[in-house]
Amino acid sequence: MIATRRGAMGLLYAAPAVAFVAFFVVYPMLDLIRMSLTNASLLGGGEFIGMKNYVKAAGDATFWHALAFTAEYTLFITPILIGAGFLLALLAVAPPRIAKLTRAVVFMPVVIGLGSSSLLWVWLFDEQVGLINKLLQDLGLIGQPMVWFADATLGLWAVILSIVWKVVGYGMILLVAGIQSIGADIFEAAMLDGASYWQRVVRITLPLTVRTIALTTLVSAIGSMLAFDQFYIMTSGGPKSETFTSVYWIYQNSFIYFKQGYGATLSILLMAIIFIASTAQLLLMRRGAGT
Amino acid sequence: MGVSKTLRRGILAAALSLAAALSSPSWAADSLTMWVRASGANAAQHLVDLWNSGHADKIALTVIPDNQVVSKLAIGVQSGDVPDVISFDLIYMPDFMRAGLLTDITDSMKGDPNFAKVAPAYAHLATYKDRLYGTGFTPDVSILIYNKDLFRKAGLDPDKAPTSLQQIHDDAKKIRALGPDIYGFYFSGSCPGCNIFTTSPMMVASGAKILPANGDEEPLAGTGVKEVLQLFRDMWSEGLIPKSAQTDNGANFAATFKTGKIGIQGSGGFIISDLKKDAPNLDFGLAFLPGVKEGQASAFVGGDVVAIPKGSKHSDIALAFIKWELTDEAQLEGLAKNNILPSRIDLAANKYFQADPRIVTTAKAIGIGYVPWVFHFNDMVNSDSSPWIQMIQTAVFDGKVDEAIAAAKAKMKEIADE
Repeated sequence: MIATRRGAMGLLYAAPAVAFVAFFVVYPMLDLIRMSLTNASLLGGGEFIGMKNYVKAAGDATFWHALAFTAEYTLFITPILIGAGFLLALLAVAPPRIAKLTRAVVFMPVVIGLGSSSLLWVWLFDEQVGLINKLLQDLGLIGQPMVWFADATLGLWAVILSIVWKVVGYGMILLVAGIQSIGADIFEAAMLDGASYWQRVVRITLPLTVRTIALTTLVSAIGSMLAFDQFYIMTSGGPKSETFTSVYWIYQNSFIYFKQGYGATLSILLMAIIFIASTAQLLLMRRGAGT
Repeated sequence: MGVSKTLRRGILAAALSLAAALSSPSWAADSLTMWVRASGANAAQHLVDLWNSGHADKIALTVIPDNQVVSKLAIGVQSGDVPDVISFDLIYMPDFMRAGLLTDITDSMKGDPNFAKVAPAYAHLATYKDRLYGTGFTPDVSILIYNKDLFRKAGLDPDKAPTSLQQIHDDAKKIRALGPDIYGFYFSGSCPGCNIFTTSPMMVASGAKILPANGDEEPLAGTGVKEVLQLFRDMWSEGLIPKSAQTDNGANFAATFKTGKIGIQGSGGFIISDLKKDAPNLDFGLAFLPGVKEGQASAFVGGDVVAIPKGSKHSDIALAFIKWELTDEAQLEGLAKNNILPSRIDLAANKYFQADPRIVTTAKAIGIGYVPWVFHFNDMVNSDSSPWIQMIQTAVFDGKVDEAIAAAKAKMKEIADE
């Protein structure tokens, strides 16, 4: 009797959260699935067409190219963000003067909007007035100004540079929290045993922050798989659609071509792919931590 | 007591009469809502202000960001919450008409003498299955601009604009020879909208038909398409166009010419006031966009159309506004007086434009211009991944002209079939 009453009370307490999730997550998700089975247009209407959108998506070369490009972008940028973030986190837990300077300088771009920072970098990379071409020319590394966004590979690296500058501070802060949670006595014991700074980093800091690194990697990888703003502003998907990301292509279909049903289908496919990739990543990390 | 009762009855009767009179359309003033896309807000505001100054029924203008007009109107029609009148980018007209978002105004407009004088491109675009759903509102049109100072320095006649593709090429070569940072020609190589606006009229002038209205029509038909692309490719290979053109997504569509280092460029009527304000010392000329042969010319008629959404609560007054905006008063005092082009071609050479013949030329371009009547304009042309922009980039920057045209034809046909 008491157990039943406690169960009912528990459900009552959980009800607001359950209602919130049901209304803001479950219902939109179900509606998205429903829409993906229709030819819904932004202009109105939408009839049930079964799996036609999924069949179309299977043969949509631009979508698969965009997905591959997004994966390439994620594979390049994630190690850079985590590696640089970890090194900067080490600086940010150093003696106070260095720590304060590092935290302020590296974290400052995080508070700038992604749209604003992308526009800033568009101008920095500009072939006529951009400072990056000027710098490279003054260093004698290039003779003529480079047109960065005329080439998909150059454009990709220009975007990666801008995003590393923009978000590396976020990973740094997460990793700083992880490093600071390690007990000072462990480091003191290691120092008494004669461990050098880098030995302490490799043997103590790194293993004991592996969970934070896993979390930061996951957050960073998911964020990169959902990249949109930076490519929309910096490359416009060009040249010749080579730098379209998955979300950019979904946006194109849903809001530029008015094909909301098809856009919903692509969204579900992307969500499924990210879910599988994230689960695999977590399982691999868990197995790595267990061995 | 009896008198008092009679008085009360009298007062009541008077009050009821007054209420009835005030609720009658002939006495009451209504307030209309109008949506306008942000790019056309300035011109629309002039017209609305003029209307409000002379009419009891006032219009309240709401500016909608350009990229939200489609979704807001579609959602509004479905939920019954629409403005009484709406002005939007004319390229959406076929899609909106087919989706049933607009009110049929055929019977009211066909007999209107002012409507008969509106640029034919607008009537063509606003007609679906022989019914009319809107008309021109605040036009813009593409033209060719050239830098007269550079023409003089290159030994060219500053009063003679190029009148064929070959002349553009020849003049651009001479201007390029003036210096390492002076270029003969410019276009925004990554901007689909800019190129349908300024490059496609050269193809149309040369006899080409660009976009198919349905899956049965041939896209990119005619030799003009290849001839224009080949001209651009040649000028690109010869270095007559700055490298920055390749990645310009439209951000520098107007800005580059203002530097004074570009000889010739396709542009729009808006550039006249822009240049006067931002580059007052730049001496520039203006002409129609030419075709392959001398005498061939065309333009892309752009800008905004005006229509009545389905579900408008004051469609009768909205219709009166649409008819009024085509009158001499609205076209001259609302638009021309503020350096905005009228949509009526008989008013191209009006008193306000006489001081600057370049504006008259621009206004006349509306009369010779075209606008493609096509569904899925965004898919075919306006998006960053459209076959139109892919064709231009592959042809001009990679030099694969025939391959580019063939690929674009196939893709456009596929889109038109949807």
